[in-house]
Amino acid sequence: MTKVVDMTDKGNGTNGAELTGAGAKMWLLAFVDRVVAGADELTELDREAGDGDFGWNISSALKRGREGLEGIDEAHPAQAFQTVADAFLASGGTSGPLFGLWFGRLGAGPTAPWGVPELGAAFGTATEAVRRLGKAEVGHKTMVDAMVPATEVLTDATARTWREAVSEAARAARAGAESTGGMVAHRGRASYLGERAKDVLDPGAVAVAWFFESAEGV
Amino acid sequence: MSRFFMNERETLVEQALEGFAESHSGLVDVHPDPLFVTRRTPTTGKVALLSGGGSGHEPLHTGFVGQGMLDAAVPGDVFTSPTALQVRAAIQAVDSGEGTVMVVKNYTGDVLNFSIAAELLADTHRVEQVLVDDDLATEREDDGGPGRRGTAAVVAVEKICGAAAEAGVPIAQVRDLGRRVVARSATLGVSFEACTNPETGRRSFELEPGEMEFGVGIHGERGIQTRVIGKADDLVESLVSRLVEAVGLRRSDSVLAIVNGLGATHGLELAVAARQTRRVLDGQGIDITRSLVGPYVTSLDMKGLSITLTALTDDLVKFWDAPVRTPALVW
Repeated sequence: MTKVVDMTDKGNGTNGAELTGAGAKMWLLAFVDRVVAGADELTELDREAGDGDFGWNISSALKRGREGLEGIDEAHPAQAFQTVADAFLASGGTSGPLFGLWFGRLGAGPTAPWGVPELGAAFGTATEAVRRLGKAEVGHKTMVDAMVPATEVLTDATARTWREAVSEAARAARAGAESTGGMVAHRGRASYLGERAKDVLDPGAVAVAWFFESAEGV
Repeated sequence: MSRFFMNERETLVEQALEGFAESHSGLVDVHPDPLFVTRRTPTTGKVALLSGGGSGHEPLHTGFVGQGMLDAAVPGDVFTSPTALQVRAAIQAVDSGEGTVMVVKNYTGDVLNFSIAAELLADTHRVEQVLVDDDLATEREDDGGPGRRGTAAVVAVEKICGAAAEAGVPIAQVRDLGRRVVARSATLGVSFEACTNPETGRRSFELEPGEMEFGVGIHGERGIQTRVIGKADDLVESLVSRLVEAVGLRRSDSVLAIVNGLGATHGLELAVAARQTRRVLDGQGIDITRSLVGPYVTSLDMKGLSITLTALTDDLVKFWDAPVRTPALVW
C-alpha cells in the first residue's frame, strides 16, 4: 500500500491528515476496549507495585466514558477527549484524576480538526499539567515516563499526518513504559515498596502506551 | 452488625446529606450529581469561598455553608477526598465572576483533586487556594514529605475568609488573609479511644486501659506517641505549651483558642479543657481574646480533643466577629 491510500478517506469522517471528532472517538473507543480487555493485566502490575485497584479504577472510568462518546460532536476531537476526561475526573485514587487532568487539557484544545501542530500543542499542555500537579518527572516510575517521550515526539513531529505522528508517539510511549521496569518509584504507592517493585512496569505508563497504540486501527 | 447508626454503607453520606439539607432547608441546597452543597440563596458580586474534603468530620465543611462563611462545600466519601469533577462543578456553580478561593486541608488526595479542578477551569475562572496545614504532630524537619496535616484551624480560615469575602474584599486579599491565619495557627490533638469504621464496626486502633494517643489527626490514625492518661489539666498544659512555642506567642499577645471535640467527647470535658487552656495562657500573659468550644472538626466518633491557637490581630478579630449564619455557626 502506498501513502496515497493512507491519505484517503476511510469512510469514518477522517481525511487522514487531520484528527477529527470521529477519528478521536474511534481512537478512544479502541483505547476503552484495550483497557477493559487488559484491566486484569494492569491490576496485576499494580498489585505487585501498589495497592491493586488501578486496573479496576481505570476500566470502570472508561466504561462510563464509552457511553458519553456516543453523542459527541464529530467535527473536532476536543469534545471526545473532554468526555473521557469527565469519566476519569469522577474516579478516586491518584492515577484516575491525573488521567482526567491530561484528557481534560486535551479537551480544551481547538474546536476544529487537529493537524500535527495542534496535536503537539495540545499534548504539550496536557503533559506539562500532569507533571506539575502530579509532581512527577521522567524517571519517577509513573505515567509521566510514557507521556513525556510521546509528547516530545508529537511536538517535534515532522510527520504530515496525525496517524504518522501518533504512530511515532506510540513507539516512544511504549519505550518509555518499558523503561519503568528497572526504576525505583519516587511517587505514588509503589514508592513505599522501593527496590522490591523495581522490575515491575508502571501500570499508568503502560496505559499511556496502550492509549497511543490504540490509534493504529483508526 | 455495625454499631454505626446507618442503613447501608453505600448510602451513608448521601442519606446524611439529604437529612442535613432537609433540616436546614432555609440555609443550604444539596446538589446530588455531582455532589456538592451550596447556600440556598446564592450571593453574587463577591468572591466565592469554597471548601471540602472527606466526610466524617461533620459539621465540617457542610455545616459552615451560609452567610458570612462558605458559598459551597464539597463532601467526599468518609475520609476520602471529593472528586475533581465535584469540585469543578461546585466552583462553576458559585463563582459569580469575582473569582473563587478554595480552602484545602493538606492531604494528598484533597490537594490533587482541588488543584486539578482549578487547573481545568484556568481559562475561564480565577481560582486561588489556601492550604491549611496546622497540625504540629506531623511537622518534619526535612521537606520531602507531604507536610503538616490540615485540622481544626480550617474553621478559623473559613470564618475569617468568609467574613472578608462577604464584606467585598477582593480575591487576592481574601487568599492572603487565609494564608495569614494558617501561618499564625497551630493545632495538637489527643485521643482516649479510636473512631469506629462504619463498615466493619471496628475501632481504627486499640489502646490498653490507661493509655492515650498524643498527636492524633482526624482520620482515625494513631498519634505520634502513646502516653499514660493523666489529669486533664496536665494534659492540656502539655498541649498548650507546645502550641505557644510553635505559634511564637509572647506576653500580651492575643489569641483565638479553638477547643475542639473529635466526635465522642462530652461538652463537660471540653469545658474543663477550655478552662485550663485559659489558665495556662493567663499564666504566660497571653489573652484569649476569642474562643470556640465544641465539636467542629470531628473524626467520626473518636474520643478526644484538639486545641488550636491562632495569633490574632485587630483585623482578624473584626472578621471573626462579623455576622455568620450557617447550620453549625451562628452569631
